[in-house]
Amino acid sequence: MALLELKNVTKNYNNECCALDNVSFSVDKGEFVSIIGPSGAGKSTLLRCINRMVEASSGEISVDGLISSSLSKKKLRKLRTKIGMIFQHYNLVDRLTVIENVLHGRLGYKSTLAGVLGRYSQEEKSQAYRIIEILGLNEQIYKRCDQLSGGQKQRVGIARALVQNPKIILCDEPIASLDPNASKIIMDHLGNISKEMGITIIVNLHQVEVALKYSDRIIGVNRGKVVFDGAPCDLTTRQIRDIYGSESEDLIIDLGERHAG
Amino acid sequence: MQFKELIVQETNNICEQLSSYEDRHTSFKELFLTKDTINFGPIKLLDRASIAMRTVILFLTVLTIYFFSTLDYQSIDVLKGFTDTFVNFKTMFLNPYAQRFTLGEAFYNVVVTLGLAFLTTLIGGIVALLLGLLAAQNLAPKQVTNLIKGFVAIIRAVPTILWVLIFAVAAGLGSAAAIIGMSFHSISYLTKAYSESFEDLDRSVIEALMASGANWWQIVFQAVIPSSVTYLLSWTFLRFEINFANAVAMGAAAGAGGIGFDLFMAGGFYFDLREVGFITYLIIAIAIALEVFSTNIKGKLQKSI
Repeated sequence: MALLELKNVTKNYNNECCALDNVSFSVDKGEFVSIIGPSGAGKSTLLRCINRMVEASSGEISVDGLISSSLSKKKLRKLRTKIGMIFQHYNLVDRLTVIENVLHGRLGYKSTLAGVLGRYSQEEKSQAYRIIEILGLNEQIYKRCDQLSGGQKQRVGIARALVQNPKIILCDEPIASLDPNASKIIMDHLGNISKEMGITIIVNLHQVEVALKYSDRIIGVNRGKVVFDGAPCDLTTRQIRDIYGSESEDLIIDLGERHAG
Repeated sequence: MQFKELIVQETNNICEQLSSYEDRHTSFKELFLTKDTINFGPIKLLDRASIAMRTVILFLTVLTIYFFSTLDYQSIDVLKGFTDTFVNFKTMFLNPYAQRFTLGEAFYNVVVTLGLAFLTTLIGGIVALLLGLLAAQNLAPKQVTNLIKGFVAIIRAVPTILWVLIFAVAAGLGSAAAIIGMSFHSISYLTKAYSESFEDLDRSVIEALMASGANWWQIVFQAVIPSSVTYLLSWTFLRFEINFANAVAMGAAAGAGGIGFDLFMAGGFYFDLREVGFITYLIIAIAIALEVFSTNIKGKLQKSI
């Protein structure tokens, strides 16, 4: 059974049609899925419907066998611990250190009081250290997050998601504010996470070439509708035109490159 | 490696597109370099707002001149009034002397006043922390924040002294009424200040923690308060200074005791100007000490947090 399944998911904001229009797809364990599409196509809404940061207007979303729309507040919290999320603007608490920010990923597992007081078990701390080391941040571990570069902040974001022991990680334009080098580091880490740890990665991207290079599968979204769903090698110029709604000659995309190397 | 090549490719593409654009639009440059034929008017126009402004200023000037020229000084000699006041100030501030109490007693009364300020700030701070969380737009539903903000604005609109007198109806004039009234006003002041500090934290950070399954209290204590703690402390210090000044006034006006009451007795009861001077110096010294202390603490906090 698929890890994540969306059935006829529709979302309207303020009775206007349609941020999402009848979206259905399913994702398996360990898949690396990229969602591409123009700005305002509904990519972010789609991602946030999965962990119910945005409530879908209709349709059914099931994560790991649980139908998320029917869950109580407490069970939703539990479901969210299984879904990590990273963001374009990292969304870290700038005044806290790297390790404190990473440990925030454990809050969903803790009782209210233990979370409020920030009491983490030895096990949780050593896990956080291990993840920080894997992501190459051991020198910054006690630095405040506002002293880090963009790429380092995003790695803290990844660490915070990983420390949750998630089954899925949702990435909302993770490299949109990063330079090419940092982008590559971040995408490589995400690729490794999906391959080696078997965690499903769903990532919103603006860079089609990056999507082509890293993903197992690409979903193209335009005006809330899924207009393409398939392997990167099946994505043709014509389909890119469908997704972005313009002559692809005008776009800075080179499909010829993807078969090289 | 392929990634790098892609980037190079992309940059080349952009360059090509730009150069082809320029080929097609050579007139762009020409357009930019052609001389303007537009005639500019005056930079500042005499619009309705500036006319209204000038009228108001003129009106006020006329009113002021009229007021001073027709003022009825009765039998007061203005010059003598000024010199007498200066003589009084001279006795007050150049010959300060405490007759009716020792320095130790004066300090004890200062401590009472400080205690009044501390207690009201503490009560205000604790209650305002909770109300501030509920009044912050990124933490509570809109109806709740509007309700609390409106309520608190009404309380703040009434001066502290009036609240003390209102509570004096039930508690009687004295320290109890002063504490309740001053705490009441502190709560409303600090609630507004705290909630605005909380609102400084980006909503997206809260979203990130909610997405990882953290609940409201955890988010408040792990993200919101750590981010705004320096603001909270500096607002609280500011309120403490305000409360100290209020406590002096309350000692006189509401009989709450402390140095303010001594000042009231010295000035209004014994007409002892030298004692008034002494007490004033004492209060100024304490106010400066508080200011220095709070600036130091704030400086240290900003370094460490």
